[in-house]
Amino acid sequence: MSAPGTKKTASGTIRTLVGERDNSLWTALFPLWSVLLGLAAGGLLMLLLDHNPLKIYGDLVSYAFRDIYNIADIFAKATPLILTGLAFAFAFRASLFNIGAQGQFYLGAVAAAACALAFPQLPSIVLLPLCALAAAVAGSLWGGFAGFCKARFNANEFLVSMMSTYVAVAVLDFLVRGPLREAKGEYPQTDVLAESAWIPSVIPGTRFHWGFFLALAVALIAWIILWKTTLGFRIRAVGRNRRAARFAGMNEQRIFLAVFLISGAFAGLAGFMEVNGVQRMVVQGFNPLLGSEGIGIAILGNAHPVGVVLSALLFGALKVGGILVTQTSTIPSSIIAILEGFVMLFVVLSYWLQHRIAAARARRRASEGGDSR
Amino acid sequence: MEFSVPSALALRGITKAFPGVLANSDVTLSVGEGEVRALLGENGAGKSTLVKILYGLYQPDSGSIEVDGRTVSIRSPRDAMTLGIGMIHQHFTLVPVHTVWENIVLGLAPADGRPLSRDAAAAEIDALGKKYGLEVDPFARIDQLSVGMQQKVEILKALYRRARILVLDEPTAVLTPGEAENLFSFLREFRSSGNTVLFITHKLAEVFAVADSVTVLRGGRNAGDFGVRDASESDLVTCMVGRELVLTKGKPAGSTGNVVLDVRALSILGDRGNRVVDTLSLSVREGEILGIAGVSGNGQEELADVLCGLRIPESGEILLDGRPVRPGIPEAAFHAGTGYIPADRHREGLVLDMTVEENLILKNLSAYSRFGFLRMKKIRENAERLIKQFGIKTPSPAAKVKGLSGGNQQKIVAAREIEAGSRLLVAVQPTRGLDLGAADHVHRTLLDERDRGKAVFLVSTELSEVLKLSDRIAVIFRGRILGEFKRSEATVEKIGMLLAGGMGDAA
Repeated sequence: MSAPGTKKTASGTIRTLVGERDNSLWTALFPLWSVLLGLAAGGLLMLLLDHNPLKIYGDLVSYAFRDIYNIADIFAKATPLILTGLAFAFAFRASLFNIGAQGQFYLGAVAAAACALAFPQLPSIVLLPLCALAAAVAGSLWGGFAGFCKARFNANEFLVSMMSTYVAVAVLDFLVRGPLREAKGEYPQTDVLAESAWIPSVIPGTRFHWGFFLALAVALIAWIILWKTTLGFRIRAVGRNRRAARFAGMNEQRIFLAVFLISGAFAGLAGFMEVNGVQRMVVQGFNPLLGSEGIGIAILGNAHPVGVVLSALLFGALKVGGILVTQTSTIPSSIIAILEGFVMLFVVLSYWLQHRIAAARARRRASEGGDSR
Repeated sequence: MEFSVPSALALRGITKAFPGVLANSDVTLSVGEGEVRALLGENGAGKSTLVKILYGLYQPDSGSIEVDGRTVSIRSPRDAMTLGIGMIHQHFTLVPVHTVWENIVLGLAPADGRPLSRDAAAAEIDALGKKYGLEVDPFARIDQLSVGMQQKVEILKALYRRARILVLDEPTAVLTPGEAENLFSFLREFRSSGNTVLFITHKLAEVFAVADSVTVLRGGRNAGDFGVRDASESDLVTCMVGRELVLTKGKPAGSTGNVVLDVRALSILGDRGNRVVDTLSLSVREGEILGIAGVSGNGQEELADVLCGLRIPESGEILLDGRPVRPGIPEAAFHAGTGYIPADRHREGLVLDMTVEENLILKNLSAYSRFGFLRMKKIRENAERLIKQFGIKTPSPAAKVKGLSGGNQQKIVAAREIEAGSRLLVAVQPTRGLDLGAADHVHRTLLDERDRGKAVFLVSTELSEVLKLSDRIAVIFRGRILGEFKRSEATVEKIGMLLAGGMGDAA
């Protein structure tokens, strides 16, 4: 539900948007504490490696925001992360786990590339929507497979979606070594796409492309589906109390399938963003961590579309700054992955803490008020 | 009561509250050496909580436990075992792919005084088995044993740990009659060597078969201690289902109208494939409350499930206003005008993490949406109207239901279902876990709906509730209606006798 009935103060609006309406400011800021703790833990590790964490972090920030090219790159990096984050978050709202965003992303990427390679003569205005559609449909069907298995056979969607990623990787390998292989036949990759299939840049000379705004639109669509439609209502009801939803006459099998079709479409669109917006070709095994980073982003963002967008931007900045820091100093490049790992770890711990606080509060209420309030 | 025997186990003033529910309230009881005590009570009377406290799985909010006259603190099952308390859970705690002896020694370190030798353990298990008639092959694998044998293993596990006080949670629920008889003869044997038994049950026949004394729990309180020789079945039943039979009559019914609900020769299979409702027929008219009285587990919950489309009957027919309702489809029951106030509102009636206004439209999304989009304004208006009408205390329609009190949560379910149930209201234990004020509100609501001409089908194990509200009372026992009374004809004695299955045929 949106922001009904509350006074429109700035902090109130933000808390309403991220779904923390019932909690105090302290708990609303939990993700922030988690990030800070994650950075502190990463800093300790840097100390052990004989680096000055303050300098590293200072460099990281100053590199990330050094010039317009780097700032633009933050948005470029965040774009696919928003989508894979949304893919996980959306399914998570139904208490389902889509661990297979990576595979859905790959098949979306291949579908977008195949579309662009097949119709290079089409004008951008036709070709780009066509590629986007192909990517969304490919990801959707691949995700839908896990949803179908869950609905039809009560298979574990976590395992099915995770394992289907390995199949998707193999499919991608086959295609870039076979039917879609570049004309030169040298590397396992496709030809460069025709220029009409490139997503135009927002700022010329940077990688910041208009796909970012499409990702924002998708986040908005996810929000609308979840909180403004009957489908979203059912998704949340099934997610929070499957038994009560069944008692209310909702068909959970249909919800499982719908959730995975939509979630897969989000991840598939990430493929379109990366292929048509940044890479302009498909290379074997590119962006292998996009799916798993999406999981962390969704968790950091409280599985809320607004939270996902903000988290994706944070991770984008970490990436841009991190790459430059590790290139210009002797600190190992894996420090960025470790930082991301720490942040996710502390986010998960904060959920545990929130749970404890809520339980304590309920106990207090029970002992004070009894049942008759 | 036999207080002359030194008490092996005593609970003094045990109180335990969970959010929204007072599970145990000032429970005091003591059991002597060589005594078998039955703990009798309905579902939700607080029996399981009490024994979990005894076994260290919960900590009481107040009160104390004494073993052999000494006050003890039981922080964990390990403490309980050290004190000689063994517990047989309703759901066994065995590792299916391990053998009997492995399961029995599981968790015992050599430091407990016995070296972990397979042959020594097996020999001791054999000896214990012979002594108590619990022979089990120590080298058999658990998953190859019958349920009755598995229970023997559980008991041997406790005996191997030198348990002197054995606590059993509904031990016969999973047993065949023959296995149950074996269990009882073991309990008698065990008692005669000076040990103590506390066993939970809601079956009267078991009390008379094996117990020396019985404590009845109702609503979390000790409702009475009896020596088995001094107590009659109907004493126990009335104590169990509520004896403060102040017949605060609800408003007498006005005129009743046409038959709304007509159940014809309905048979229902339970979760374990046994027939829990057997060719049962009944009807409810407009402006009438039919109360189903019965000790829980006699098929009334399953009957209510079928009426609401949540369970597919084996055979028989349900007519609403003369038209058959397709079985097993919640929407079909809903569209025919059935509202359902379930016993377990948290699990079945509400989505606690969703808001008040969302929960109020949970069943009727189509009326609050257009082209698949929710009509926020209409949803809000509906919520504001129902909040006012039913006096739901909530900070806002957009507050999560989780934060409300039990009484207000039940009001939300009632408000929604009364809207949905334009013809028939099915209410199952509608006041379970509510305090008096909230329960009274629910009662008044049901009476009001009857006066508006709805048919009300009320299932309750609280006899006082049934007597207070119903215009007609039907007593259910083992899936059959044993008798039906107009309220004016109903007496506690008549009903009490039927609740136990009639004289000489107790459950």
